[in-house]
Amino acid sequence: MTDDHVDIHKLAAEIEAEVRARRAAGEYPPGFERELDRMFDRFAPPEVSNDFEAALERSEDLVIVDPVIPVASRSPVLGAVKRVMSKLLGWYHVWLAQQISALATAINTALRLLGGRVVDLEHVTGDIARARGVGARIPARRDDGAWQTSVTNALQGCAGRIAVVECGDGVLLDALVSTGLDAYGVEPRASVADAALARGLEVRIDDGAAHLHAVGAAALGGLVLRGLVERAPLGELLLLVDAAAAKLVPGGRLVVCSLRRESWGRDATAAEADLVAGRPLHPDTWNAVLPEQGFVDIQVHAAGADAYVVTATRADE
Amino acid sequence: MIVHQFAPTLEPGAVGAHTLVARDVLRAAGHTSEIYASEIDPAWADRGVHLLRDARGRADVIVYQMAIGSVVADAVLAREEPIVVNHHNLTPMRYIAGWQPVAAYGVTWGRGQLRELAAQARLGVAVSSYNEHDLIEAGFPRTTVVPVLVDLASLDVEPGPAPAPAPARTDVVNWLFVGRLAPNKAQHDIVKAFAAYRRFHNADARLHLVGGGREDGYAHTLQRFIHALGLDDAVTLAGGVSPSELAAYYRAADVFVVCSEHEGFCVPLLEAMHHRVPIVAFSAAAVPETLGEAGLLFDVKDPCTIAAAVDRVVGDAALRRQLVDAGARRVHDFDVSHTGPAFVEAVTSAARPA
Repeated sequence: MTDDHVDIHKLAAEIEAEVRARRAAGEYPPGFERELDRMFDRFAPPEVSNDFEAALERSEDLVIVDPVIPVASRSPVLGAVKRVMSKLLGWYHVWLAQQISALATAINTALRLLGGRVVDLEHVTGDIARARGVGARIPARRDDGAWQTSVTNALQGCAGRIAVVECGDGVLLDALVSTGLDAYGVEPRASVADAALARGLEVRIDDGAAHLHAVGAAALGGLVLRGLVERAPLGELLLLVDAAAAKLVPGGRLVVCSLRRESWGRDATAAEADLVAGRPLHPDTWNAVLPEQGFVDIQVHAAGADAYVVTATRADE
Repeated sequence: MIVHQFAPTLEPGAVGAHTLVARDVLRAAGHTSEIYASEIDPAWADRGVHLLRDARGRADVIVYQMAIGSVVADAVLAREEPIVVNHHNLTPMRYIAGWQPVAAYGVTWGRGQLRELAAQARLGVAVSSYNEHDLIEAGFPRTTVVPVLVDLASLDVEPGPAPAPAPARTDVVNWLFVGRLAPNKAQHDIVKAFAAYRRFHNADARLHLVGGGREDGYAHTLQRFIHALGLDDAVTLAGGVSPSELAAYYRAADVFVVCSEHEGFCVPLLEAMHHRVPIVAFSAAAVPETLGEAGLLFDVKDPCTIAAAVDRVVGDAALRRQLVDAGARRVHDFDVSHTGPAFVEAVTSAARPA
């Protein structure tokens, strides 16, 4: 190995940091990469999106099966054979095509009826996706400075990368990075993430839970959960804890930052707050839930009058 | 020993080439070996491969080349000889559902057959540790890893003419990716990174996407995307090419870019290493395992990061030399002279009682 040998892992990290710095300096137009994503999505078939109506329309477009057999051929002989076959078997293809089209029409009709019933059901039980969307927009009061000290202390010495789920505008993430921790953020709201990106921070624009599920097992040295933990329904929170246990290395640190229930949503309208699927848990609930998933050394720290921080360690296996 | 291979289809591509090389190494080791497939691509009609219906006589071991659901798996399951499943890849449904309904059906079928084969096979041979997880999950009692068999000497063909659009100037930077146009190979993400590279680094760069599948829905979407970006003149969808054309693409390439979400092994990485083309890749599935230290690997693939990485690789001669030298060493480990004996040992061990 020569002196000019480059450590390619360090180089990759340098390039990522350089891109973040250029982004922060405004060298890349805001939204440039998202516009590329949107442009591709516009051409992608509805089957790969979650748009039920578009998928149904596409399905209905394909209902009619063409009974006419293509007879074109570069070989005149083969073309003649195809034409003869077409004449001989044309009636059979029409018969088959009619049956297939009738079946497809019946299935599409049934799907449309089923879709209608699901919509009715959503009206009765509440549209969970829409409620979550509203919840994500609630401008809950946040003072990242309140829990900054507890979080930074809890994560010191973490071996491995630290993910900050719902990093928001990046104040807390910035504080972690500035103490030398290898931290990155995940933020589902692109417009909010732009502020963090503009600070030169590494931020993935993704749903926090989806990102956590996509991360490799035992890939994280630390995990900070915020935002989502205040509004996700209980079942989803338990899944989040399961995922946290799976994605942290033994000895890895979990930090939950949450507003207290009584202060959460204070600045939101009553309607917005009422539509959210979940509420912040009481700190004692985390104390009860985390040990079941193999977390130890669970501590609750007050973060001002309105918020708290729970820290826990993934037990060694 | 008689070791016959069974494959759904024998056609040009990584699995087909592997199957032919496997036959060669088995024969070179003194074993009798034939290949049986339900379909044989006309381009490979002269490779001495037999149709499934002609499978006669008893073998000591049967090797099934698994990559998708097939009636050939049922035929293998109906036989009495010890079975070895050589597992290449079953693309996860999330990548193909909605894009390729027929392939999606084949994959679902294949997953079911993998579980059936696990109950009967003596050994599962995966081409990567990443793929081995599939075998373990399916319930194979014994598994091992032997990389895809690649005859590197076969890549040393005389390159054809320079690929179109022919670079008019020597300072044009040519990006290359080789692989079937497929959503799991994420050529659309390469195009996004290429668009960023043209905008922020080099407006004259060209991208060559080599590989079949130009008739599939994904390819049509990709074409429309490229058109909407105004990159029709800068991006080539070359389709399937001959070995000499492929060599020409590698010779013209300044960088090999991989943004795949899912690869069971990624043979083109070895081709790029062999042709001394530096590699920039997204770290997913089996890509980091195959690439080792022989390329720049990123766990993100946002367009600006990949573009900046390509810019660094293209503009830094020392780095470029380091990467291609590392690639040349790395690819040597995958030469059939190393992997062939391991394959023969694994396969023939299945004939011996446990």
